[in-house]
Parts: sequence; structure tokens; C-alpha cells
Amino acid sequence: MFVSDCRREFYDLIVTQRVLLLVASDVDALCACKILQALFQCDHVQYTLVPVAGWQELETAFLEHKDQFKYFVLINCGANVDLLEILQPEEDTYFFVCDSHRPINVVNVYNDTQIKLLVKQEDDLDVPAYDDIFRDEEEEEEEEEDSEKESDGSEPLEKRRRFEEEVIERTMKRRQRREWEARRREILFDYEQYEYHGTSSAMVMFDLAWVMSKDLNDMLWWAIVGLTDQWVQDKITQMKYVTDIGILQRHVSRHNHRNEDEENSLSIDCMRIAFEYDLRLALYQHWSLYESLCNTCYTSASLKLWSVQGQKRLQEFLADMGLPLKQVKQKFNSMDMSLKENLREMIEESANKFGMKDLRVQTFSIHFGFKNKFSASDIVYATTSLMENIEKEGPETTNFIKALDSLSRGNLDKLHQGLDLAKKQLRAIQQTVASCICTNLVISQGPFLYCSLMEGTPDVKLFSKPVSLCLLSKYLLKSFVCSTKNKRCKLLPLVMAAPMDVEQGTVIMVGIPPETESSDKKNFFGRAFEKAAESTSSRTLHNHFQMSIIELKTEDRSKFLDALISLLS
Amino acid sequence: MEPAEVEFLAEKELVTIVPNFSLDRIHLIGGDLGPFNPGLPVEVPVWLAINLKQRQKCRLIPPEWMDVGKLEEIRDQERKEDTFTPMPSPYYMELTKLLLNYASDNIPRADEIRTLVKDTWDTRMAKLRLSADSFVRQQEAHAKHPACPQQALPSSPSFQPFQALAQLLQQFCTDTNAHHNPGQGENRSKNPESSLVRRENQHRSCYKARLHPSQAPQHGEG
Repeated sequence: MFVSDCRREFYDLIVTQRVLLLVASDVDALCACKILQALFQCDHVQYTLVPVAGWQELETAFLEHKDQFKYFVLINCGANVDLLEILQPEEDTYFFVCDSHRPINVVNVYNDTQIKLLVKQEDDLDVPAYDDIFRDEEEEEEEEEDSEKESDGSEPLEKRRRFEEEVIERTMKRRQRREWEARRREILFDYEQYEYHGTSSAMVMFDLAWVMSKDLNDMLWWAIVGLTDQWVQDKITQMKYVTDIGILQRHVSRHNHRNEDEENSLSIDCMRIAFEYDLRLALYQHWSLYESLCNTCYTSASLKLWSVQGQKRLQEFLADMGLPLKQVKQKFNSMDMSLKENLREMIEESANKFGMKDLRVQTFSIHFGFKNKFSASDIVYATTSLMENIEKEGPETTNFIKALDSLSRGNLDKLHQGLDLAKKQLRAIQQTVASCICTNLVISQGPFLYCSLMEGTPDVKLFSKPVSLCLLSKYLLKSFVCSTKNKRCKLLPLVMAAPMDVEQGTVIMVGIPPETESSDKKNFFGRAFEKAAESTSSRTLHNHFQMSIIELKTEDRSKFLDALISLLS
Repeated sequence: MEPAEVEFLAEKELVTIVPNFSLDRIHLIGGDLGPFNPGLPVEVPVWLAINLKQRQKCRLIPPEWMDVGKLEEIRDQERKEDTFTPMPSPYYMELTKLLLNYASDNIPRADEIRTLVKDTWDTRMAKLRLSADSFVRQQEAHAKHPACPQQALPSSPSFQPFQALAQLLQQFCTDTNAHHNPGQGENRSKNPESSLVRRENQHRSCYKARLHPSQAPQHGEG
């Protein structure tokens, strides 16, 4: 059931209760969790936080805690499957689901009592009408029983006539029923075929805080980071991103208008958010401009930096802007001020000449103290790499907690650690992409492109985590589209596989939609993977909340792929 | 006294807030507070004000003396005079720190205020050091510190040497008393009770002073 008034139907209910928060492992969920935690702290709500990385963990956590809690809040998990069937809860447990995964399962939408969806209604959800999917089962049975009874007691002649009529009626009904069921299957198939993402959960939580007039600049910043995470991971369309940025821009000007007033300006330690039409280069203010140009997907793909020609083009690009190599290779903060002043406009002009039309993007940046300035995408990269840090430093949840902490302003050391890890990750991605393209590892299988990372590849361990692998696949697809001359291949989606756990012999596989100008980011690989796994009875684990990411055994890989090819062609 | 103790005592000072919730009078051990009505200013102790501010339930109004003009005057006066000038509040340093850390968005020109208070503080510390220095040189047995802030003693980074200095001073005074004419010092009375008090103070300061063992005063004198 959709919650229309977040405050009355959600927050006021849980403010006096103990709540269990189940949070998925992505940056948007972390930001939403932070906002909700801040609200809970204001009102002294008792809660327990459990990070979950997949369906199995969700079930385990639920089983552990179901005796102690009646109210569960699920963040970025749980909307796209039938929750009641998976978790089998008691009658009096309530689930509040704030999830950006779509499509929302129809059972969750039409359940009136236990499942409440914290979703904005403006999102085009296209949920099928109730009558098309559900039918009163009892009516059907009664009618059949009646008709059977009637056929027993009557006189012979009339009996036969009536019997014939009833047989005709019954066959008509059965045919209607079969037609209805076929239509239902078709509707459900269309509805659930494509996976996509709706509004960021962090923005939904910020809305809740705003409605309660408890919104702070900090919470606004987390909402911005949640939205930027969706953009960095290519989960939403450009149009939606721009619309959401507009919404957040209004909040930003409301909170941050005091900076212009000289008389009453805020202390320098106060946090300020500013809207910027900034460069799309990853981490460029914490790195050198040269490194950033080399390791950002957009520039490296457009300039084709994996080839020698590409390197020459980069030099031409820098020369065109008039930036000396020595300046560009040192840390950004140490570059000459005269070069930094008009940097954005200069780069945009030159970029237009080299075919990079979208080098600037609308985003926000945060500024507190004298030396701390971060852009939203910096924080996204840092938090993602902290969360998926492969170095095990304790129990499983330390990475999650560390990433959660790094979002607070007081934990700058964790943030800087995250930035360093992010630089390593971006470099590893670039090198892997370059090697894949140079060695032609991306092969066309017919209906899709396929690339598989071998075990001995450097940094392959980094890509055993889902988000990193998704980032790698998107960069690879973009670079491949720029490098190939085959027009048909440019429109194909990509399936990427990487070794996950060498001891257990598992492989993690990711499917991403094709890279087109006006892509609507809808991904059909979720259902395709399910069907292929069923038909070949491969040992797969659909553990991830996003259906297009699965794990399977290395031995079953080839037959799985064959099934997938035959399914999609 | 530890800095944390002084801060704890400072949090009992009253400050004005403007709440955004309503609550009837609350009866606490230290006294009654409230009633709270949205939009109407009310006086509460600093500890409650900070807690409410962190829970976004109020807006803090800076005390009257926390204003750039007034603080500039105080600082200039402190620099002109040789002795300590009276401060607007005995806990001005702690209050500044607490309010500027947690509520700097409610205080206009917070950075300047921080600088001014720090300047005043530095001037007073310098005066304290000078006077202690002259105290030792002139072998005075009595030092009067009018309006010396309570916190000047423990929280200064130079407290350890100052404590050592105080220790030596006491020792020196008792020596002086034992061997010289009692009429020399001002506050040396022949009252046996006061000498007991003095000895007790010596013992107490022994526990608190983190002196080098060789410098520890010996008991049984004076």
C-alpha cells in the first residue's frame, strides 16, 4: 500500500516504538539511513541497524529479530519481490519499505495492512489495475458447486436441456477464465520484464524531514549524495537527474542564502552547500588534472586513451587549452591560480572541439572550514570504495559502518581514506578497461556482448564486489562503443563476468542495458537470468537486490550463457 | 580543578532560548524550568540549551556580552590595565566554546567573537605569568588575584609549571615563616589552626602536583 502522508502514516507510528532498520549496501541507502538516524536521534527513537547485502541476509536478520520487533523499515531493499511470501511474518508486523528499485511487486502494492511503501506517487509506476490481476477465488468455486448441485435434482427432459445449458455456461466461464489468466500473465510479464530505478530513497527521507520541519543542511547534503550516487552508477535517466537537481536546488537556496549577506555571514566552520556547473572529471580537486582526465570514463572513452593515438590526442587537448604539462600533472590545489580561474570554461571550449559535449554537469559541492571542499561525486566515489574495501578489517559489517561514518562531517580521516581507495579503484578500472579493449576480450555473442575477466588479471579482486563490477562494466561498454566500428555492436547490451570466490569456484555476473543517447536505463537481464538458470538448472544464487546481478558456479557458466543466448535471440 | 569539572560548572549558567515545542513547567532537582511555548524566549541552563539545540528543538540567543563591539572594548581595556579587569561572566571562556561549537549558526559574526575572546584570554594569561614571576622575585608571601577567573588556573597549558611554581612558593613561604621574623609576611598568623590548614593544603597539593619526585616537598616542616 502506498503511504500518502509520510508523517502521519509512517513517522508518527514508529516514534514511540522500537524499530529495526534493514539497510542495503549502496550509497543511496547509506544516505537515507543517515537522514533517518538523525531524525531518530532528535526524537529519541530506539532502533537497531542491520546492514544487509542480499536476500539471504535479509531473511536471516528478520528471523533473528522477529520476536523483538513489530516495526521494520527496509531501505533500498524489498520492493521488487513478494515480501510476505519470502519472510512469512506474523499478522501484526508492519513493514515500511523505502526502495528505489522498480518495478514494485504487485502483492506489495495491493496489500492493505502489513506493507507500506514510502514511494512518491509522481514516479510513473504503471502498476496494473487490481481487477486485471486479482480475482475473487471464492466466487468461482461457489458458482461451480451450485451448478453441480443443480444438475442433480430435476426432471429428465428439462434436466437434459438445463444440463446442456449449464454445460455451455460452464465452458464459457472456463474459457473466459483462461483468457483472463492469459491476459494476466501478459500484463504481469510486461510489468515485471524491465528493471529500473525510481526516486532516490535519500530524497524521500529528506522530504519526510522537510515535512516535519526538521530538515538541516546536513540532511540536504545526504540527499544530494544519494541522488548523485544514482547518477554516477547510471541508474537514472539524464532527464530525471536534472529534474531532481532542480528540486534539490530550491532546498539548497533556502538553506544557504545567508552567505551573500556580509553583515551576518555565518562562521567559516558552518557547512555551506553551493550549486555548481562543474566538470565531470572524477575526483579532480583531490588529484591532479592529468590523472583525473585519464581515469574518468567519459574523457578516456571519448579520447580513446588506451591507444597511442589517444595519448597524443590528450596532449593535443591539453595544448589546445594552454595548460603546461608540468602544471597539469601536479596536485590540483597546487596549480597556478591564473590557470585555475577560468579552468571550467577553457576546458568546456576545448572539449567541444574534441567531441566531448557533456563535460560539464550540474551538481553541488560542500564547503566547511578553510580547507575542506568536496563535490558530491567525490563523496560518492569515496563511500563506495570504503564500503567495498576488500581488505578485511574485522567482522563483516565494519566496512558498512566505516562508510556510514565517513558521511558525517566529523570523520574526515575516513573520508580521506575513502578518497585514496577511490583513486586506486578508478585507476584499476581504467587499466582493466584498456587491457580488455586492446586484447579484444569483449566478444559479441549475438544478442549481447560478453566479457569475462580471468583470474590472473591484476586487481581482479576489486571486481568481486557488485557495485565495482557494475562500474567497470559501464565504463567498458562506453569505451567499447567508442572503439568499435561495427554499428550493430554499438546497440548491444553487455554481460560481464568476474571471479568472485576462487575457493568456492563462483563467478559474479552482471548484465547492463545498452549504451545509447536517450537510453531509458531499463534492464531486462534480471528476468532473463532467472529463466536461463531455470532452463539449464545451473547452480545460481540470485542474492542481490538488483536482479541483474547473480552469482553462479564456474562450471555452469558456459551452459548458462548458451541458454541466455538462445533465450534472447 | 580539571577543565572538565570547570566546564561542568559552567553549564549551569543560564542562557536564553526560543523553543519550537510546547511543554509545561518541569521540576528538576536544581529548580523549575519552563513553561516552554513555541516562539517565546525562556531562560534555561546551558546544558539543556545545547541538548535541545542538537535535537533541533530550539534556537539559541547569544548572551548580551557576546557581541563584537562589547568584546572589543573589553579586550582593549584588558590590554591597557596592568591588573585583571572584571569579566562579564566568570565562565566566559567555557560559554564561548560551548555556544560557538554547537550553535554558531545562531550567533552573528562567530569567527570574530572567537578571535576576540581568545585575544582577551591571552592577555590575561600573560598578566598571570608576569605577576607570578614578580611574586617570586619579591618574596611576597601573599598574592591577591582580584577577579581572576576560576578557570585561569587549571586550563592553561602552562598549568603544570605554574602548579610547580605554586608548590615551590608554598614551600618557600613555610621556610620563610620558620626561619624569619613572623612580622615580615602579611598573612602569616601565629594561629596554630591556620598552620594545620596550611599543612593540610600542602598534603593536598602533593597529590595533585605532578612534580618530579626529587622536587617533592618533604613533610613535617613548618
